[in-house]
Amino acid sequence: MKLQILSIFIATIFTHNIALTYLLGMCPFISLSRSLKTAWGMGLSVIFVVTLTGALNWIIYHWILVPTQSELISYIVFIIVIAASVQLLEMILEKFLPGLQVSFGIFLPLITVNCVVLAVSLFMVIRDYNFIQTVVFAFGSAVGWTLAITIVAAIKEKLSLSGDVPKGLQGAGITMVIAGIVALTFLGFAGMVAIQ
Amino acid sequence: MKKLHLIIGKLYKIKYLTKFKPIFNVVDSIFVGVKDTTDSAPHVVDNLDTKRYMTAVIVALMPATLASIYFFGWKALAIIFVSYAAGGLAEVTFAIIRKKEIHEGFLVTGLIFALVLPPTTPLWVVAVGVIFGTVFGKEMFGGTGRNIFNPALVGRLFITLAFPSIMTTSWLKPFTDAVTSATPLTTFKSMQVVTPFSNLLLGDCTGSMGEIFRLGIIVGGLFLILTKVSNWRIPVSYLGSVFILSWLGNTFLGVKVAPPLFQLFAGGLLFGAMYMATDPVSSPFTKSGKWIFGIGCGIFTFLIRNFSGYVEGVMFSILLMNAFSPLIDHLVIELKYKPVKK
Repeated sequence: MKLQILSIFIATIFTHNIALTYLLGMCPFISLSRSLKTAWGMGLSVIFVVTLTGALNWIIYHWILVPTQSELISYIVFIIVIAASVQLLEMILEKFLPGLQVSFGIFLPLITVNCVVLAVSLFMVIRDYNFIQTVVFAFGSAVGWTLAITIVAAIKEKLSLSGDVPKGLQGAGITMVIAGIVALTFLGFAGMVAIQ
Repeated sequence: MKKLHLIIGKLYKIKYLTKFKPIFNVVDSIFVGVKDTTDSAPHVVDNLDTKRYMTAVIVALMPATLASIYFFGWKALAIIFVSYAAGGLAEVTFAIIRKKEIHEGFLVTGLIFALVLPPTTPLWVVAVGVIFGTVFGKEMFGGTGRNIFNPALVGRLFITLAFPSIMTTSWLKPFTDAVTSATPLTTFKSMQVVTPFSNLLLGDCTGSMGEIFRLGIIVGGLFLILTKVSNWRIPVSYLGSVFILSWLGNTFLGVKVAPPLFQLFAGGLLFGAMYMATDPVSSPFTKSGKWIFGIGCGIFTFLIRNFSGYVEGVMFSILLMNAFSPLIDHLVIELKYKPVKK
């Protein structure tokens, strides 16, 4: 059991990285990887929100949707839960921790549309995780996503100083190329740990 | 020589030939030499320009190259030729379209790329790999000195993943024509048999063309370190961390992990540590960054070799650490040169 949780955590970061293997969460990945600071800020908020909504959605799915046999509407419920909890979180932060809210800035509302959040909730249903596994999976996925976006942001910062990217490729184009090569290198971990 | 310089100078002023100015420039600078300073990495405080730098690397690669030609004959020659021709074509095309100089960095990339291939690689795969590596690994980032990843390894990685059966199952022993799927590392993984060290050192084993004559690689690597072309920190920390980790693993996990000396000499580890990880452009610039880079390469190589589905992890680990190196540099600078808070 303990080993399985550890292997889920390692797998979500290296072998089944949600950004580099499943190519999820690409829109903030491309637009926010321009500087290391924004990438890091976005990453922190993603870690926080994904872990929170993963846990919430597990509780709602298994305690409400399954007993009432209404798994069919899980998509809508998950989306509503994600949007509502992000809004709630922002209000709470604004009231009690304004400093943290300022440092999260624009990223918190943006996360509502980050597909990593929904994907984690859906994976947890497909793979039939229990509560602890879900929390570890959600946390690990978000850490993996943050790792990927920080790597790419650091590369792009270096490129903006020393690179000479062809005109047509600047911006999103070169980000896709970098992300592609990084994703290829992450394939080296394939077969190290297995999750469902 | 001066005459040649003048003739070339006149040639590219002819109307129809202006477009090909980069080609004339490179011919000019190879035979005559230029006095310009470098405008991109690698920068060195010495009377050493990129060209002498690259020449040193090529001299250091000579033992491995000559050994591969001696071992595999025309196959090795053809692969090196195709690698230079196809990659050079990509390089020249970019230089002409973008109106840039042709950099001699390609002379190293083309040779290293050929040397890390299995001797049975079909020539069209060689061409695909070297073009992918040059275009996506180097030209898209702005050419020599601006690349993030090692271009030869990007090409090698692409063809390894695209044509796995060609790239990982057909190896040759020197002087023979019998294709085998066994390399020292795979025989250890399946049967726990350690290949004798003399075979590994002198090249009497299967493997990529340039990586099996390990005595020559050690000599070449030492030459690079002694002439200060490559930094000693990366090979030392890379080889050291692989040695220590596999010693620990072999002691505590038993036969699943290969013994340390065998790991050090098997596969492409020596070649990668001496010639590819030390690439001054795609490794960190800071000294402590170089230590971290080497140790990271060692950890990833150890993990991938012993615990993943792949037998050899040198290529993956160097590229992974290439990806990490801007982040490492950033963090090192941030931690070391923290602005004083008032």
